[in-house]
Amino acid sequence: MAYTYSKIATYTVGSGGVASIDFLNIPQTYTDLVLQVSLRNTTNNYWASIKFNNSTSNFRIITLQGTGSIVSWNADNSGTYALNPVASAMTANTFGSGIIYIPNYTSSNYKSFLDDATQENNATESYWGVSAGLWSNTAAINAISLVSGATAFAQYSTAHLYGIKAEL
Amino acid sequence: MASISLKYKSKQGSLTAPGDVDPGAMIPIATTTLTTTTATVTFSSIPQSYEHLQIRIWGYNTSGSDRTLWLQFNSDSGSNYRNHWLSGNGSAASAGADSAATVGILPLNASSSQTGFNGDSTKASVVIMDILDYTNTNKYTTVRTLGGWDGNGGGYAYLASGLWMNTAAISTLYFQLPYSTNFGANTTFALYGIKRAGA
Repeated sequence: MAYTYSKIATYTVGSGGVASIDFLNIPQTYTDLVLQVSLRNTTNNYWASIKFNNSTSNFRIITLQGTGSIVSWNADNSGTYALNPVASAMTANTFGSGIIYIPNYTSSNYKSFLDDATQENNATESYWGVSAGLWSNTAAINAISLVSGATAFAQYSTAHLYGIKAEL
Repeated sequence: MASISLKYKSKQGSLTAPGDVDPGAMIPIATTTLTTTTATVTFSSIPQSYEHLQIRIWGYNTSGSDRTLWLQFNSDSGSNYRNHWLSGNGSAASAGADSAATVGILPLNASSSQTGFNGDSTKASVVIMDILDYTNTNKYTTVRTLGGWDGNGGGYAYLASGLWMNTAAISTLYFQLPYSTNFGANTTFALYGIKRAGA
């Protein structure tokens, strides 16, 4: 039987915001994971971090990004990277849009992942880009955390986790 | 810290975690394959029962030149749109932003160099647009677009975003090209709905 996206879990941030969004005990029955995110920070910060299995170690992320009218790139070892939540100083009611692909998340290889993510803003300044990441850990991924680079993710931010199963 | 345990339901925040996994969350809503050159393509009365929309486009324009691709929501042709883009053409990368526009211009500004939707039927463009939370009336609409074309010597790849400054749920998508250009025959637009967990 061929599968499309399979719904695993959805999180919608409530009033007051949350510092992080955590998906725990992820089923190990899929081939790949896809995370769709619509994020806004409660303070003037453009970044968010990702953790696998509550680890911030052994991450390497390379990003190609645009910032208004400038192309730039960045390499980071901290796991903090371009999920591009909209900052609080940007246009109200506006949330970023991003997708993270994590193929072969249960394998005993190091974990490569890919994302493209955009902010938006009623001004020239905005951040958007594509990132390639590597988590140098052979453990299967059973937890994913998104951590706000600001105080918290704002109310109405969402994160949706899907599984994709390869045809056997 | 908000946590979702997929074995045990969390009490924090607004959580939806199904006990049973649905084998399919990405559902075809409508597909249009043009049988002749066409000026506009419209998806109307879009069901409000999904969480996200994805539009996949394969095609070309009939002008013989590159064009940008315009998208309007819910028949809004006012100055309620904003656009940003990152693109490369094989030898250079560039980024830009569109000032408040009369129409939604995705991915690039019609008044500057036109790229994104090719004018050659043998070197069609591929576009994937994602619209998350399209029925959420607490948010403006952010569109994320990945696309490009390769001309076997030229081409463009781009990541673009667009903002529609309106909190209304999206019920209509209206695609057109600038300068009275038509979409070419066999150009295909496919609209998908993506469900949320628990739906």
